[in-house]
Amino acid sequence: MRGRTIVFLGLIGFFLVATGVIWRRSTGLAQARELGELRQRRAALEAQQAALEGAIRDASSRARLGRIAEERLGMRIPPDSLVIRLPRSSRDTAPK
Amino acid sequence: MIRLSRVGVVHGAFALFAVALIGRSAWVQLGQTEHWRARARGQQTVTAELPAPRGAILDAEGRVLVESRALVRLAIAPPEVKGMPALATSLRRLGVPDAFVRRATDRNRKWVELPGRFLSTDAEAVMAMRGVHPRPVLERVTPATDGLRRLLGTLDGEGAAVGGIEAALDDVLRGEDGTSVLVRTGRGGRVASPEEGEQPASPGRTVVLTLHQGLQDIAEHALADAIVEMHARGGDIVVLDPHTGEIRALASRRAKADASGATALTEPYEPGSTLKPFIAAALLERGRVRLDETVDAHDGTFQLNGRTITDVHRAKQLSFADVLRFSSNIGMVQFAERLTPREEYEALRDAGFGMTTGAPYPSESQGRLRPPREWSRQSPASLAMGYEVAVTPLQLALAYAAIANGGELLEPTLVKEIRTAEGAVTFRARRRVVRRMMSTGTAETVRELLRDVVASGTAMSADLASYELAGKSGTARRMRADGSGYEDGAYTASFVGLFPAEDPQLVILVKLDDPDGAYYGGRVAAPVTKAVLTAAIAARDAALDPRSLTGPKVKPTEGAGAQAVADASAAIEDVEGAEALEARPTPFVFELGEVLPAPRAVRRSRAVPDVRGLPTRRAVHELHRAGFRVALERSSAATQTLPAAGTMLPAGAMVRLVTRQ
Repeated sequence: MRGRTIVFLGLIGFFLVATGVIWRRSTGLAQARELGELRQRRAALEAQQAALEGAIRDASSRARLGRIAEERLGMRIPPDSLVIRLPRSSRDTAPK
Repeated sequence: MIRLSRVGVVHGAFALFAVALIGRSAWVQLGQTEHWRARARGQQTVTAELPAPRGAILDAEGRVLVESRALVRLAIAPPEVKGMPALATSLRRLGVPDAFVRRATDRNRKWVELPGRFLSTDAEAVMAMRGVHPRPVLERVTPATDGLRRLLGTLDGEGAAVGGIEAALDDVLRGEDGTSVLVRTGRGGRVASPEEGEQPASPGRTVVLTLHQGLQDIAEHALADAIVEMHARGGDIVVLDPHTGEIRALASRRAKADASGATALTEPYEPGSTLKPFIAAALLERGRVRLDETVDAHDGTFQLNGRTITDVHRAKQLSFADVLRFSSNIGMVQFAERLTPREEYEALRDAGFGMTTGAPYPSESQGRLRPPREWSRQSPASLAMGYEVAVTPLQLALAYAAIANGGELLEPTLVKEIRTAEGAVTFRARRRVVRRMMSTGTAETVRELLRDVVASGTAMSADLASYELAGKSGTARRMRADGSGYEDGAYTASFVGLFPAEDPQLVILVKLDDPDGAYYGGRVAAPVTKAVLTAAIAARDAALDPRSLTGPKVKPTEGAGAQAVADASAAIEDVEGAEALEARPTPFVFELGEVLPAPRAVRRSRAVPDVRGLPTRRAVHELHRAGFRVALERSSAATQTLPAAGTMLPAGAMVRLVTRQ
């Protein structure tokens, strides 16, 4: 093999290895970026979920509903003599 | 001599330069490897802190009381921004104040921190813009009610716990921050390094409290209403389970906005007559008194060691049971003389007064109970009436819990469980008995006496229609803030109830500070207890176990029995002021010439109503109204009762209601 051919093959080899390294690094960075974005997205959605759950809790809390029921609907807490506790039948309590 | 040509010199110089270059390169590459590698890493990567999410706080049923959520803070670098009008529009849409929008779009400024915290999903459009720098922060989402918020405590701007349970359990709730290595990209962005692993944050542990949110809401609501209605300076409500010592609700309210959220643990007060059951228990435990033993009530005025002790009602004789029922100071002081100072002191000390309860809450007060060597001649009598001793509402509720559970003083529990983020339980509270305070028999006897206090004594306004309540009211003068004697016309009204009386599930203490108008515990605090219990019974989620609630009690609704109860109630309403140390003029003066027998409920037979053809709910309602208990059964037959309609049964009997499937 002549010297020029060896040099040519060497350059080709160097080019291919360099291309592979750059491709791998670029791909890795792109995936890392995507992973980071997905993590951020997940954190954002979890935060939104927590916010919505908190809003539901607040809206359905006794403190808020009780006031609305009393002020807007004129509802009152019944005296204990008007509270009827229905005993559950054994079928209702049996595991399903 | 070697002659150097000009070319040779040039070649030599190049050769030396090449050698120096190679040598320097070799030194940089081999000798200073770590130095340059570290410098490159510093330029190309950034180590970011991953904040650890703080643990959540849940109530006993697993409902979230406090939790952390991830938000972002935004900073703008105006010189980096490309589309100013678009940025301004997006910021306004996000709710940023106009003043800050103007600053953020002013190219003369280098860096603008925007106020407020935003959900990432809301700020998504802004965060995608060049020149916008988001910074993640964790925010503590606090509960809706003010009382619970102050009880649980808060975090300051730096995330440090400030007061309350947040501070007490900070070590548990706080996690460990992690780190992540980010690589700087060519455009100035940052991505997680694919080569360097991250150290993930370790989230804080979840704390499950014994508090019950439903009951807490009820207690806070009732306390707020009572304070407004009675123009009181403040008040406390403590609800706890007497069998486990678990605190179910802890409501506190003061006129001062910066007051602690748990003054029921931090502010002691003189309990007045609510202390009498413990003197009574000590007398019974030592066999120094019989229930039917009478004492001279001195017609309402009694001289003891040069001091005048008065009862508002004037009785000539009172039995021991009636001394407690009518909260007679004169009677209790005389019975208490049968105890030595040491015995009286030990009885109160064994009830837990004068020492902290062990509740995991910062700055719990131990109250005050002086040893006998520091007593004056008046002290035994004062202590028998609930003066010269200061207790916290929690201490007093725990002492009453001992009466409710058969005589054991328990350590209070506020934390039920601690769990890791993965759900593994690392701590679970167990029932801890501090000491046996009294025998089971004595506890049962005192509970019976307290039942009479509500049924026909000073606390009839706490009486429920369907369930029996035991309890004791108390009215005590208030000390001045500087401790220089009592404040004129200022009282602490309190009531401690055991519900239901037969097998108490809850101990409820209500205390109101300096209410206007009627200030007696039986008139002021007892109805608040009733309001709390009424709401708890009506609520599905208020910590009551309906299965172990005994059947509704039966009261006569008509006839001579009803009249007898009504008469006795009216009479006892009039003598309610018996517990005042120094009686004020009162229009309700009732003279008790002799011992009043306690009115008893009369069980009468009545006919089972005809409920055929009625919907199930209505049928149950009718049967309850008639005074029967109901058991539902399903069948293919039409709706009927067993026994049949018209059968005479004693009130409170069980009637089976058979309904169509």
